[in-house]
Amino acid sequence: METLANSRRGFVNFLMGTGFGTMAVWMLYPVLRYLIPPKSGEPTIASVAVPWKPAEVKTNSGKIFKFGSQPGMLVKTPAGELRAFAATCTHLNCTVQYREEKQDIWCACHNGVYDLNGKNVSGPPPRPLETYKVNVKGDQIVVSKGA
Amino acid sequence: MALRSRRGTSPLPTAHHGTDLLGRCIVFAWALVVGALLFAGGRAEAQKLPEGNSCIDCHRGIGDPRVTPPAEKFPQDIHLAKGILCQDCHGGDPRNFDPKGSMNPAKGFIGKPKHQAIPQLCGKCHSNAAYMKKFNPTIRVDQVQEYLTSVHGRKLREGDQKVATCISCHDVHNIRAIKDQQAWTYPVKVVETCGRCHGDAKYMEGYKIATDVVDKYKKSVHYEALTKKGDLSAPTCNVCHGNHGATPPGVDSVANVCGTCHSLTADFFNQSPHKKAFAAMGLAPCVTCHSNHDVTKPSDTLVGTDQQAVCVNCHDPASAGYQKAAAIRTSLDELRGAVQRAAGILDRAEHAGMEVSQAKFELRGATDALLKTRATVHRFDPVAIRNLSDEGVQVANKMYDKGVKAMDDLRFRHRGLWISVGIILVAIAGLVLKIREIDRRRG
Repeated sequence: METLANSRRGFVNFLMGTGFGTMAVWMLYPVLRYLIPPKSGEPTIASVAVPWKPAEVKTNSGKIFKFGSQPGMLVKTPAGELRAFAATCTHLNCTVQYREEKQDIWCACHNGVYDLNGKNVSGPPPRPLETYKVNVKGDQIVVSKGA
Repeated sequence: MALRSRRGTSPLPTAHHGTDLLGRCIVFAWALVVGALLFAGGRAEAQKLPEGNSCIDCHRGIGDPRVTPPAEKFPQDIHLAKGILCQDCHGGDPRNFDPKGSMNPAKGFIGKPKHQAIPQLCGKCHSNAAYMKKFNPTIRVDQVQEYLTSVHGRKLREGDQKVATCISCHDVHNIRAIKDQQAWTYPVKVVETCGRCHGDAKYMEGYKIATDVVDKYKKSVHYEALTKKGDLSAPTCNVCHGNHGATPPGVDSVANVCGTCHSLTADFFNQSPHKKAFAAMGLAPCVTCHSNHDVTKPSDTLVGTDQQAVCVNCHDPASAGYQKAAAIRTSLDELRGAVQRAAGILDRAEHAGMEVSQAKFELRGATDALLKTRATVHRFDPVAIRNLSDEGVQVANKMYDKGVKAMDDLRFRHRGLWISVGIILVAIAGLVLKIREIDRRRG
């Protein structure tokens, strides 16, 4: 009878020990994962909703928005078409800006000029700006990579 | 039984045979596709030489390595692809298989053109706008005219037999379109093309020009951009010297040449006191400080008063220019230091999992300011540079503070986490002890 009780107690102890052990691992694992920094710094952002409604973007203008930790540029061409680009100059990564009077995208750091398709047209930039896809969903403008 | 015997003798494929046949079909289809691709590729690369052409048949069949190269190389030539054949440059009658007839001067045969006659020979077609438009409506037709203004062209007219002509850069009988990656004139190949002469000290003996230019250029930031970063717009020999009109840029035109890409720095330089001073001293802008062929990526150490700085080559310590150089360098160092400090702490915070993307985004204002300040150095105006760098330092310091705050927040969270974990572990230990005590009491 005692042997039976001992074996039952041992079994219960085993179950409890295993349970507590598992629980300890289950608790400590996320703690350790939290304490050890991830290898990659910033997660890649695939799309972002810009902070303006379509009606707020005036024709022949360009506005800078935050795409992850990088700048993006939303352009409304003189013809009224919305386009978006990475606002990082392909020369030395300065932030580019829209020039209403010249209807182009300009980098003030070294006078790099891009047309409204993002193509580098003069100055030192070696290649076009990265182009983003623009989708208007009701009152929201969503810009995404992979245009 | 009948069914079995029919199966046994049936010519129709069984399941196994079916797989086998399918496999064979796939292999055959692949062989066809690969063969077609190879055939198509071969045709795109090399044209078929015409049949019944005495020039080609003789030069190819004669077996003498002195005369076979034209026929061997010609299948790759763009002229063949456009239907321009031997007689169009060399004259003669390719339908006549008697050498006396085919190579008859009376039929316009000129044989191997003289070195001096090559530009005019190529120009016969290439300077003829009406003719060239048949092949490409936007093609240039002023190459020969431009060539005659080049150092090569001028020397050729003076009777120099070693100087480059069309075929020296475009090859002969293997002339390719400029967009062809195998062309000697393809951007990444231009340095080798020019270097065949300009890098050969023995060949260039007597011209009294440096022959280390190719090696120097290959150390430059331009060559790196062209060959390693794949930027075909990066300058190679012809971009600064011209191609058909190749001439070294003069002292007064260097800034314009560099300014075709580096327009802002050229503008700043033209507004600076150095413009007049350089002109008075006969110094070429840009290259005096940055060198010409071996232009390396400039660093902030180029300006200032220490040994690496180029300013001290002209400015002695008692001069105002020396003091200005020191002030400019201080502004640059302060801004660069502030940007590095802020970027460092934000990177650490981000790496540790803190959300600092807004701060990193705003820090771009300081990195932009650093790049603008570096460009503005070419104005050599310490006040303007100080104003710009101060703006950048202000932004960088603000972002550094945000980084410090993020790290403080991280430390607070870590402390909180350890305390919570400690409390949980103590609770677990207490629970275990309690269970053991109950066990002991019962047992």
